[in-house]
Amino acid sequence: MSFRRFLIKRTLIAAVLTLVAVSVIFATLRLLPSDPFSGLVASGALTAEQVAELRALYGLDEPIYVQYLKYVRNLFTLQFGISLTQQRPVGEIIVPALVNTLVLLLPALVTTAIVSSVAGMYAGWNRGSWFERIGIVSTTFFRATPVFVTGIFLLVIFSYGLGWLPAFGMRSPMASPEGYVETYLSVDFLKHYLLPFTATVLFYSGDFLMLARNSVVERKGSEFLMLHRAKGLSEMEQLARAGRNSLLPLVTYFALRTGMLFQGVITLEVVFAWPGIGRALVQAILNQDYPTVQAAVFIMALAVIVMNLTADVAYAKLDPTVKAGDV
Amino acid sequence: MSGYTLDTDTAKDRLRAEFDRGRRTMYVVWQDTGAKIGLIVIAVFVFLGLFGPYVAPYHPIEDTLRQGGSIMRLESPSATAPLGTTSFGKDILSQFIAGARPTLIIGLFGGLGTGVVGFLVGLTSGYFGGRVDEGLMRLTDLTFALPLLPMALVILSFVTPNVWIITLVLVIFLWKMPARVIRSEVMTVKERTFVKSARARGAGHLRTMFLHVTPNVLGIGFLYTAYAVGWSIVAGASLAFLGFGDPTTTSWGRMLEQVFRSGAMRVAWWWVLPPALGIAAVTTAVFLVGRAFEEIVNPELQTETE
Repeated sequence: MSFRRFLIKRTLIAAVLTLVAVSVIFATLRLLPSDPFSGLVASGALTAEQVAELRALYGLDEPIYVQYLKYVRNLFTLQFGISLTQQRPVGEIIVPALVNTLVLLLPALVTTAIVSSVAGMYAGWNRGSWFERIGIVSTTFFRATPVFVTGIFLLVIFSYGLGWLPAFGMRSPMASPEGYVETYLSVDFLKHYLLPFTATVLFYSGDFLMLARNSVVERKGSEFLMLHRAKGLSEMEQLARAGRNSLLPLVTYFALRTGMLFQGVITLEVVFAWPGIGRALVQAILNQDYPTVQAAVFIMALAVIVMNLTADVAYAKLDPTVKAGDV
Repeated sequence: MSGYTLDTDTAKDRLRAEFDRGRRTMYVVWQDTGAKIGLIVIAVFVFLGLFGPYVAPYHPIEDTLRQGGSIMRLESPSATAPLGTTSFGKDILSQFIAGARPTLIIGLFGGLGTGVVGFLVGLTSGYFGGRVDEGLMRLTDLTFALPLLPMALVILSFVTPNVWIITLVLVIFLWKMPARVIRSEVMTVKERTFVKSARARGAGHLRTMFLHVTPNVLGIGFLYTAYAVGWSIVAGASLAFLGFGDPTTTSWGRMLEQVFRSGAMRVAWWWVLPPALGIAAVTTAVFLVGRAFEEIVNPELQTETE
């Protein structure tokens, strides 16, 4: 199979997958026994007629398949509809939340990908050293422990115990910055940023460290390294060459992780009251705000599918031993 | 042909051989310090999960501690309550001990379910290949695309959660992980000569799959079952922390939710630390044992151990 055909096939599969995922989300949400308006009748706030009017206003009175078709059609133009509980376009709720999440997670992921990969390669090269053992045990701890538990430890120590850093939110209650630059480039923001950033870095470190270590261990002792040793290269120069050959799984893993970033880290955002997409989603689920839930889960699913596709294609392109058809 | 379908005697024989191999493997794992500590932590945890409610000094929810007629609210550790009390006057030590059980159930059954389903799907997919493989792999792609925690939250928001439903939901979203790995392992094993000769001698698909292919991928299967136990505990605790746990029982995740929601986290370190350390210790233990096991199972990591 030529690379072109492989690419077309993969893209088509990804597109179909997106459609199926979207339909599953739609179907799951319609299984909910009630909508946010039924509660208003029960509590006596509105009469049944008024609620029927409200439902008509939001298009909830139409047959399910009409709602479904409209929903899919609107997705193509990225129109997510109006939030049922906040009376404003879903995009206005989701996009800033997504930006907040990515501002938190992307730098953390990049930092840990670089630092832990290098540390992991060093650990794999010096197999059996104390550095390797401590590296593995400590990153296993942070990888295994749920990220919100790590967050709680950090809060208890640095916010409540020592009082060094603020515990909640993205900015002080009094601050009201305008625009992205003022929001994300201030000392106040940095103080709020440090703890959740640290928790994320620690959480992601384990996977990169183990991947890098394992692939260096697998390379160690292979012929091309013996050649380099025979040429008289130093230990570090040899490691650099072994490391370069171990990059492929790391790059692939980085792509997959980036796709999953869009899901946010729900529990972490709740612990630190970070106004990200995960927290917005939990809020929307509790309020039975379908359009917001649909849009948020759609973006999360789409990100994973697109990054999976990217990883597959990158793998087929980068690894000379894998022919495109095999993937 | 009678000997070449799957009969009970051969199956028993093979199982015994597998158990022997398992025992030897456990012996090697035991040599690893991290894994040894991990196994001890797991043993304590399983003991608490099985007998916790009988060991706990008070009932975690019904008993309210009083001193001189007034409820002991948010008391720091004392002789009456060795780990202090919650803001509702409950004994934290008792809650901690009783909270091990839901964590154990979700971890054990979530892990086993994920391991078994993932193993069977991976085995079928890798062994038959072709359309079967294509279909099953697209299904795993789909479960990869649907985010675990958000989907679990949506589902649990319209059923009343109990530990068994939560376990089921976790299995539905976690089986894909072992399935993919097992599949690729099976694909390399089934091309080997002994599998082909078994087929040539007339062994049926079932016999070939379970007697010839399975023993060679069982190690990886166990490894991912162990990891799945860890993932299930993490996901279960996360759900409980977000308020989507079983509302009728005490679990470590739920204890953390209560201390977080009540705002007592600021002062009541004695309420925060037991469940947080409990979750961290158990999940770390499971992964440490898994890592030690992986060093044995993954042949590529062994090349260096001269």
